Amino acid sequence: MTVSAAPTQATVKSETARAPVRKNRFWSWLIFVVGALYFLVPLAATFYWSLRAEKDKFGFEAYRRLFADTNFLPSFSESIVNAIAAILISLLIIVPTAYWVTLRLPKLRPVIEFITLLPFVIPAVVLVFGLIRLYSRPPLLLTATYDSSRILLVCVYAALSFPYMFRAVDNGLRAMDVRTLTEAAQSLGASWPTILFRVIFPNLRVALLSGALLTFAIVIGELTIALFMAQHTLGPYMANLTRSKVYEPSAMAIVAFAITWAAMGIIQLIGRGQQGQIAGGH
Amino acid sequence: MAYLTLSNISKQFGDTYAVQDFNLDVEKGEFVSFLGPSGCGKTTTLRMIAGFETPTDGAIALGGADITNKPPNQRKMGMIFQSYALFPNMTVAQNIGFGLRVRKDSKADIQERVREMISLVNLEKHAEKYPYQLSGGQQQRVSLARALAIRPDVLLLDEPLSALDAKIRVSLRAQIREIQRKLGITAIFVTHDQEEALSISDRIVVMYDGNVEQVGTPFEIYNFPTTTFVANFVGSLNTAVAEVTDPAKGLLSVNGVQFSSAAKMDGLQKGDNVRIAIRPERFSFASEVRKANVVDCRIENITFLGSVVRVHMLIGNSSFTMDTFNYPSLELPRIGATEQVTCSREAVLLLEEVRANGHEPKL
Repeated sequence: MTVSAAPTQATVKSETARAPVRKNRFWSWLIFVVGALYFLVPLAATFYWSLRAEKDKFGFEAYRRLFADTNFLPSFSESIVNAIAAILISLLIIVPTAYWVTLRLPKLRPVIEFITLLPFVIPAVVLVFGLIRLYSRPPLLLTATYDSSRILLVCVYAALSFPYMFRAVDNGLRAMDVRTLTEAAQSLGASWPTILFRVIFPNLRVALLSGALLTFAIVIGELTIALFMAQHTLGPYMANLTRSKVYEPSAMAIVAFAITWAAMGIIQLIGRGQQGQIAGGH
Repeated sequence: MAYLTLSNISKQFGDTYAVQDFNLDVEKGEFVSFLGPSGCGKTTTLRMIAGFETPTDGAIALGGADITNKPPNQRKMGMIFQSYALFPNMTVAQNIGFGLRVRKDSKADIQERVREMISLVNLEKHAEKYPYQLSGGQQQRVSLARALAIRPDVLLLDEPLSALDAKIRVSLRAQIREIQRKLGITAIFVTHDQEEALSISDRIVVMYDGNVEQVGTPFEIYNFPTTTFVANFVGSLNTAVAEVTDPAKGLLSVNGVQFSSAAKMDGLQKGDNVRIAIRPERFSFASEVRKANVVDCRIENITFLGSVVRVHMLIGNSSFTMDTFNYPSLELPRIGATEQVTCSREAVLLLEEVRANGHEPKL
């Protein structure tokens, strides 16, 4: 009797121990479902609406009309070029800065972090009026022509990307022993550009891609700044579209979502392949 | 003229001197170890040789040329780090060939040299693997091959074995020494492990608190320590304050127990207090053999340490330990018994910097 009593008690104990886990799971699932509905219902409704362009029929007519619009592809391609240019500028500023702060000036990190966070703090409207005021008179007259305004816009986008880019790069740098890798490369005769381009950049691939794709996702649909600078990018195009069309804005929203999701998917895919290499380096 | 010369090197961080007035001549092909506890300045000195730190004072010369202010990438010094520092994005072969690609050697030369280095460290099967696919010991061998591939003037090793487990550490240190001898390369090795330094080096520089305590061969460092720190840091040591009773005959008294020493007592007078040092293994039971010093002791404790038995004893009022080999027929006294132990005159060392006249030395 005594012998059989022990396992029974153990079973009871383990059942009691499992109960809170189940309870926790229920709440986790509930939060997940509510969150998913909050996100998916409007998306599904938008998608549903984008398929209703033809009377009494589901189809991709709104998408066809969107891509057939002569203004769509130029504004879309202009936004893509702006995004790529902003990414390059941001990379060239942030990577050497974050690298140097990690390597030689760690005490400056809080200051740099604060500076990179400024685009979050300053509202876009305030930012754009400040910029227009500053750059609409000599010696920095950049708002005179469409192209010069575009250069200014790209620079602003680069600045807007700093919070994402700096954090992504900084996390990447913290994940590797930057100082020792730099010294190892130096002892083997490498110059600073060689160290940056052959050692640091390749090992930051995932971090750089994360920063770049987040920047891309932000820039591609940006409205406020582009509108005030009278640029024909995707943001203002979408705003115009909502004023004059019914179904195409929904189709446009779904296309923009697809692009952003594709960007996120690429980060995940590349990140998965790179993890082992970084971890193994230490 | 020495191959590598460090003249009056100092390094100051804020108000603190990490290294102070460091002087050293290293001959070509020599294997020199910097030995000392954490914070003694050994790594800082190595980093100054590598060019990662600039000396506050002094000069470093290599082959007669001043390299004090030369950037690290122009010094041609192969460096091996404790954390291996392999480039995670490159394979073993690419890591080894990195320095050769940087200096733009021809593709054929790089391939040949990489093959040679891979074979030197026995990693032929791993050439196309990434660092994360290798064990710690293998990664450090890649690091060694990478540093040697550029045919460095000096090989610098910054605690390269500290992150490895005990067995691999022993085999890799033997491998490093063998390769260094084979290539005749000058090497500077930083370690806090006395056994490592004693086993691998031609000469050891013992450092403490930014200063050089003693420079010598492993034999000299172990058997003839010149400072209390060296004596205590390298191996185990019994120390006791003794009164000089007859400097001409080398006689001393430890709490009334007389010892005879072969150490020179020039300048010492009767009544002076000095600190003596005796290694535990230099004692033996007087029942086995009788040497110049035979003293009474009380057995306080006995500890088994595998191949060695450590006997804790009281001589006069001072605690001493004796190490004796453990063998099955060893007859050990009981705790509390009074025995006689013996040691030679040469075993009784005088630590020179603590000689003081008429009062107890400060330590």
